[in-house]
Amino acid sequence: MKKMLPESELARDERFVRSKIEDRIFDPRGAKIAARNTGPAKMATDRPAAAERSRSLMHGIFVGEVQALEGAGRTCFDFDDTEAPFQLKLDMARQCWDESRHCEISIKLGDHMGTEIGEYTESTFLYSAACNPDPVLRLCGVNRALEGLAIDVFSTMKEFGNESGDPVLEFCEDWMLADEVTHVKMGSDWLRRLTDKDPERRERALEFQRTVDAIFNLGGFRGDEEENVIQLARRFRELAGFTEEENDSLSALARESTEQAREMAEMATAALNAQSS
Amino acid sequence: MAPRPGRAPYLTERSRGGENAPVTDETKPRAPFAPWDRRELPGLFSVEETARRVGNYKWAEMRLFEVLGGWVATVPELDVKLVLGRHCYHHAWHSELWHKRLPELREMNPERLTVPANDAFVTFMDAVREPEAPEHTIEKLVGVYRVLIPRFIAAYTYHLNGTSRITDAPTIRSLSFALQDEFDDWRDGEMLIQSLLDTPEKIERAGRRQEELEKLALASGGIAGPGSLGEPAQEVSVA
Repeated sequence: MKKMLPESELARDERFVRSKIEDRIFDPRGAKIAARNTGPAKMATDRPAAAERSRSLMHGIFVGEVQALEGAGRTCFDFDDTEAPFQLKLDMARQCWDESRHCEISIKLGDHMGTEIGEYTESTFLYSAACNPDPVLRLCGVNRALEGLAIDVFSTMKEFGNESGDPVLEFCEDWMLADEVTHVKMGSDWLRRLTDKDPERRERALEFQRTVDAIFNLGGFRGDEEENVIQLARRFRELAGFTEEENDSLSALARESTEQAREMAEMATAALNAQSS
Repeated sequence: MAPRPGRAPYLTERSRGGENAPVTDETKPRAPFAPWDRRELPGLFSVEETARRVGNYKWAEMRLFEVLGGWVATVPELDVKLVLGRHCYHHAWHSELWHKRLPELREMNPERLTVPANDAFVTFMDAVREPEAPEHTIEKLVGVYRVLIPRFIAAYTYHLNGTSRITDAPTIRSLSFALQDEFDDWRDGEMLIQSLLDTPEKIERAGRRQEELEKLALASGGIAGPGSLGEPAQEVSVA
């Protein structure tokens, strides 16, 4: 078996439908939806589409867990003993088990919430962060950026479960949240240990993390404001080892992305209006 | 009641007269091993031989957990994908147990003994790890669950039964934990295989794959090389 499996070769059964991130961003329906101005995007129970949005997000969590499982598994395999320390691989194997459980939880929660595998599309750009040939960059992209995002997502969903009176959802999200904090800590520990004497490599890894973070802030998906779907979970991020400065920096990046998304939506709306007049 | 010369009086006699005599005597010698404790000395393996075997186990468990992790992305069957993710950790944990045991067996550089039993075993493991294509799930699972894991079970069981239960108790504890996982994982894998073999052609495919790998395993002698299961039993003439 070859090392480094590209995302195009991820194996799926026939239920899964793959979509590209650019298709989602440039979907012409997006501008029309934005033009409706339906209020804050934050997951809230009083929104008419709350149930549909939570199901869609749960499906997104499920495919994200599948890719996180695949990414951790590839890190066990892709590097020989000189490229990745034995203990790092043990951590990745542990993460495989955790992600495997998260897939199981997500599938059962999807059933519970009334959706099914394949009802929504899958973007594989999460896995692409796990294809970096440098194990330090890979861990920074996956364990710090993506697992950090998972902390935000699970915290938001846990709160949504609480507010909507769904103890099953709240219970499960809380357990997954505990695992994600552990995964982020793994990433932070390995970043420190492997780049202890190589500040240049550390900076490259952190830059890669910022790039991945920026992708997931895209369109104002995550941030500190009411208009962000996913809220930055500062308390849990601190437990996972992120500094206040790092959280502030991520928040600023999120505001920038939200502003860019707003400008894009305004431009798209103006273009639509011009077409119809 | 008749007196018992040289022995403690019966409880009723001792208690006579309102004395509060102790029911048991703390100073009375007891055998260091209870009658039901049948552990014995010595065992089959020296410290050096145990370290050699443990190093072989660690190497094989590492190669196994790596490939189980690598395969997760290559199998389309969702249930198989999730089981591989779980089992990947089991074998990583076994390799960690062996890694920690090596310094306790006077091998201060565990990497030195983290080696395959021989070149033939490397050939065998390479063949087990070789399938990649998404349509080769049967080949992947047969290699691991019908050929490799049964060999772990055999080698660990032989070691468990042969080593001294007194001097080598720490290895026995690790072997017992690992064996429990191996049995459970074997059952999971075998059930997945049976659920995938739904035509006579697939059964033949599984059989061919198993035969190819069995021959390679035979050439290697097993996870710890020749002697993985001890010397072949000698036929004893009763004539």
